[in-house]
Amino acid sequence: MRWLACELHTHTLHSDGVQTLEELAAGAAELGFDAIALTDHNTMSGLAGKESISNKYGLFILPGMEWTTFYGHMVTLGLSEYADWRRADRSRIVEGIQAVHRLGGIAGLAHPFRIGSPACTGCYWEYEVKDWSVVDYIEVWSGTFASIHTNNRRAYALWTDKLNEGLRISATSGRDWHAQKTTDEPLSITYLGIPEGEETTEEHLIDSLRKGQATVTIGPLLTLAISANGHNFELGSVVSSQLHAKDLGALKASVTLDFTVRSGLWILPDQAFKLILCSDRGQELEREVMWSRSNPKDPIRLSGLPLTPEPRKWLRAELWGIVHGVHALIAFTNPVYFD
Amino acid sequence: MHLPVLDVKGRVTPEDSKTHIRIPFQIDQDCSLLQVRFEYAPKVLEDRDRSLMLLTQSFETYLLPEQRERALNQVDSYFPLNNLITLSLDDPNGYRGACHRHDASLELQLSAEQASPGLMPGRLPAGDWQVTLSIHCIVMDSCEYRLQIGVERS
Repeated sequence: MRWLACELHTHTLHSDGVQTLEELAAGAAELGFDAIALTDHNTMSGLAGKESISNKYGLFILPGMEWTTFYGHMVTLGLSEYADWRRADRSRIVEGIQAVHRLGGIAGLAHPFRIGSPACTGCYWEYEVKDWSVVDYIEVWSGTFASIHTNNRRAYALWTDKLNEGLRISATSGRDWHAQKTTDEPLSITYLGIPEGEETTEEHLIDSLRKGQATVTIGPLLTLAISANGHNFELGSVVSSQLHAKDLGALKASVTLDFTVRSGLWILPDQAFKLILCSDRGQELEREVMWSRSNPKDPIRLSGLPLTPEPRKWLRAELWGIVHGVHALIAFTNPVYFD
Repeated sequence: MHLPVLDVKGRVTPEDSKTHIRIPFQIDQDCSLLQVRFEYAPKVLEDRDRSLMLLTQSFETYLLPEQRERALNQVDSYFPLNNLITLSLDDPNGYRGACHRHDASLELQLSAEQASPGLMPGRLPAGDWQVTLSIHCIVMDSCEYRLQIGVERS
């Protein structure tokens, strides 16, 4: 996989942002992003002229729109044209998501536990989702220094609950970036993976997110793969039941931590990180990962990690450690799924 | 030459929160420019007791019990509370964009070549157009709005 650093939730002055698309693109390029999604509130007019800006800054600009409704905000990406957010009824959001799908797009819950009206109108997700299988993703980390906020912990728990129910829903971060202001707080990056041999296009990036070829971090790039019976399964892929049956040999996980990504654009103290593999079975494995900025061994690979042959629905990796003096989740992958 | 097409006033209350008001209008052929002026008042809720009451309700609805005390201690960071009405526009063929921003007064222009931010430039087809006012939140007993539409002919 080739991993692209993405910021998937942004605004310009076409809604309530205080930046032009060009100012946003320039800021994103400076922060080491390879792609952004423009998700203005209820309009796609800000995308006019995006090709020349995309070329100038060497940045993919994915078309999107944030449905800014009375019962929730929903980020939509990759649409060929506008889908009508005003028809969304509290019990009929599934139809809205299906309309987005018909236009080639995907839809995700934005900051689902941010406080609602009147503090932030419609920001809390109050839609009754009658069929969660239509939901493509959940923005589980919103804003800066995301993982320490209770609202984001609730979103992460919601995502985990849905995975435990057997749903395959991707997870992302989104800064909800309205202005070019500098911050000392860690920024979250969603890396989207493009398989080797595939061209990087807007469509492929959307497809990566749809499939869960995604991993989220405030620093190092964390990836997970599972090998079973000679086959290799990357993030978002499905280990078929025939392959992880007890009699077909060992199931092994491998984890890679690349600290060289966006070099110089994030900082973490030298430390012993805690790497966890977890699934619907709970925590399955824990390893200590020593790291210092002068580490000659980079990326760090942990391979041959043993997994029990007991059935599970999904498995993901998490990296925990100290950030700004706080013990926090630093990175997590989307799952590898099991049939 | 500027020709008025519509001038309506209305009043909304907290019960209108989370509803849309649809206001149709027609334009004829040969329109080269559409102008929309929308304003509402009051914008800001100055009444601190009422703000506190509304926010306390909101904390109870949306925050976990363990988050509420901290939120109440930082209640000033949520002030001031505002009324929010946003505007979107449809031409006879479909959506022409929205202006989701916090200004209580909008002056918008739309033509084949250019459009105010949020709206999409393009032909101004004759026929049935519509403004949608989305009443996201009304925090005062009453909020008055005025919508004026005019056109210029080529």
